[in-house]
Amino acid sequence: MTTSALEKKPASRASGAAFILKKATISALVALVLFSLMIGVRTEAGPQGGLIYWTRFGDLAAIVAAVFGGSIVIELLRQWWGPADKVRVVPPAVQNALSLAGRLIAPALLIFTFLVPVIFYDQRYILDLAILVLTYVMLGWGLNVVVGLAGLLDLGYVAFYAVGAYSYALLATNFGLSFWVCLPLAGILAAFWGVLLGFPVLRLRGDYLAIVTLAFGEIIRLVIINWQSLTGGPNGISGIPRPTLFGIPLSPGEDGLAARLGIEFSPTHRIVFLFYLILAMALLTNWVTIRLRRLPIGRAWEALREDEVACRALGINTTTTKLTAFATGAMFGGFAGAFFATRQGFISPESFTFQESALVLAIVVLGGMGSQLGVALAALAMIGGFELFRGLDQYRMLVFGMAMVLLMIWRPRGLIGHRAPTVYLERNQAISSDLVKEGHG
Amino acid sequence: MTSTSPLLAIRGLRAAYGKIEALKGVDLEINAGEIVALIGANGAGKSTLMMTIFGKPRARAGAIEFDGDDITGVPTHEIARLRIAQSPEGRRIFPRMSVAENLQMGADVTECSEAERAAVLERVFTLFPRLKERVNQRGGTLSGGEQQMLAIGRALMSRPRLLMLDEPSLGLAPLIARQIFDAIRTLNRQDGLTVLIVEQNANHALKLAHRGYVMVNGLITLSGTGGELLQRPEIRAAYLEGGRRG
Repeated sequence: MTTSALEKKPASRASGAAFILKKATISALVALVLFSLMIGVRTEAGPQGGLIYWTRFGDLAAIVAAVFGGSIVIELLRQWWGPADKVRVVPPAVQNALSLAGRLIAPALLIFTFLVPVIFYDQRYILDLAILVLTYVMLGWGLNVVVGLAGLLDLGYVAFYAVGAYSYALLATNFGLSFWVCLPLAGILAAFWGVLLGFPVLRLRGDYLAIVTLAFGEIIRLVIINWQSLTGGPNGISGIPRPTLFGIPLSPGEDGLAARLGIEFSPTHRIVFLFYLILAMALLTNWVTIRLRRLPIGRAWEALREDEVACRALGINTTTTKLTAFATGAMFGGFAGAFFATRQGFISPESFTFQESALVLAIVVLGGMGSQLGVALAALAMIGGFELFRGLDQYRMLVFGMAMVLLMIWRPRGLIGHRAPTVYLERNQAISSDLVKEGHG
Repeated sequence: MTSTSPLLAIRGLRAAYGKIEALKGVDLEINAGEIVALIGANGAGKSTLMMTIFGKPRARAGAIEFDGDDITGVPTHEIARLRIAQSPEGRRIFPRMSVAENLQMGADVTECSEAERAAVLERVFTLFPRLKERVNQRGGTLSGGEQQMLAIGRALMSRPRLLMLDEPSLGLAPLIARQIFDAIRTLNRQDGLTVLIVEQNANHALKLAHRGYVMVNGLITLSGTGGELLQRPEIRAAYLEGGRRG
């Protein structure tokens, strides 16, 4: 589209502007008609029982103006992000700046994340929130292997999170094993459950798979609630040991890290430690996923998402490919669960409801299935954004829901809709999602 | 395993979908270096035969021998590892993956050195220069003919000993279909590739093939060299004049 669209630009940009103004005027007129009676005239029962009314034209004008302005903004945004063949009103310079920003966003985000404990050292709330966001980033990346890469819709991901959390909690409280011994064990146990879930659902796809995995998530939760002798039932498990820095506890005592380093103890040390711990775990998840994508197994996952029959014809063992996808995703969920347990110090089945599965899945879908950066951004938006709107009280869910609906209208394939190929011959070139039919993935 | 024994031998093969029997005792042989065409009307069981060779659906009776080894009942993915490659009906390329990735998927199955892989890739690009032009493009953005080239190229990446093509001309413009058939002929003449081609376009397929089989209702009713079959009045009536597809 580049050359022809650029040649036509001056004329079409003017018509584009006229189109936007026209659309905004129509929206404003509709708003005027709608709100003139709803807002413009206020009626109430008077003291004598009669109806009294008064006008509020100021408020009405403000609302109509807001609709007019909002309509222009929305139309501009739509043309920015709209399909490639639409006339673009945004000047090329801005577009170039945007694409540059797009390339720099990942390294910038990473550097900023590393600096978060330095910048917000004395703001406990922000540090806690950052840890929460990173936990969901890690869960999102883990589920991304199953849903984004292998295309297996998993609605019960929280089950593996729970398995990881309970593995660590039970091993640590019953046998006194340290976090660093339990972490791989939690991952292995979750992966084992992943394979166990994988076997019965090998033949299922799409909706059917979603229902079975949903049931699986509920089964795990119900077992945890009812197996009182082992899991403590609804009371949960408390007194889960805090993580240590390779055996050195982060506690105020004699042998604590602060005392050994000769610095004054502060409870923030542990928070910062937890922050870097989950950051390292999340980055490990990301690194492993990126590496796997370039190996035959990762390619096989993606091919499986595209066409199972073709995969079989090409000699891919679809059974093992699906099971490894389930196991890998589950393992990362298990790691995240172990971290969750050690961070909270207390776990109960209430933390592992379907809502968690839905949230993680929403993060993956919102981020753009298969995109690592997209998932991270979506986790930030979902968890961080939700906190951001806390000041709006009861309107929080409303604003949040509207934001999600709007996002899905403009970016139906998620924030980062394109996937970068892993095999190159000459040049590295991302392929625009605009060129690809929707619904594949 | 003498050199005169056929590369692929099928004897009395039966297969069914549930209660509907699609193959009712098929005998077919393919010698190394041959192009064999399998023609027949819709629903004759051509595609089923190809899929049964690949293990899905499973053979109910009969035997499939590849290079002297019985491969009846061997899982699909292991059959592909014997370097029997397939370009399935409807092409079935991976739409969201790039052309290069699609081709790499074909090479992932068999163990081969980097040099061998590069050589095969070069061969595919010589046959289908269009694929080289579009190597970083997504499979789903290719035209129908290019997708068919990609499907054949992907099958070639495993350096097959037997290439099975299911309706390679399906839905293609005549000119593009001819390019595809030319490429198959080149592969056979220059690389000595053995090809089984399933087609509704009987005229094209029989001109291309050394030998042909005609399938009707799950049974092989006629066989002979391509030229012979083209002359048979019943073939002309059924597939070339009356039933010829535009």
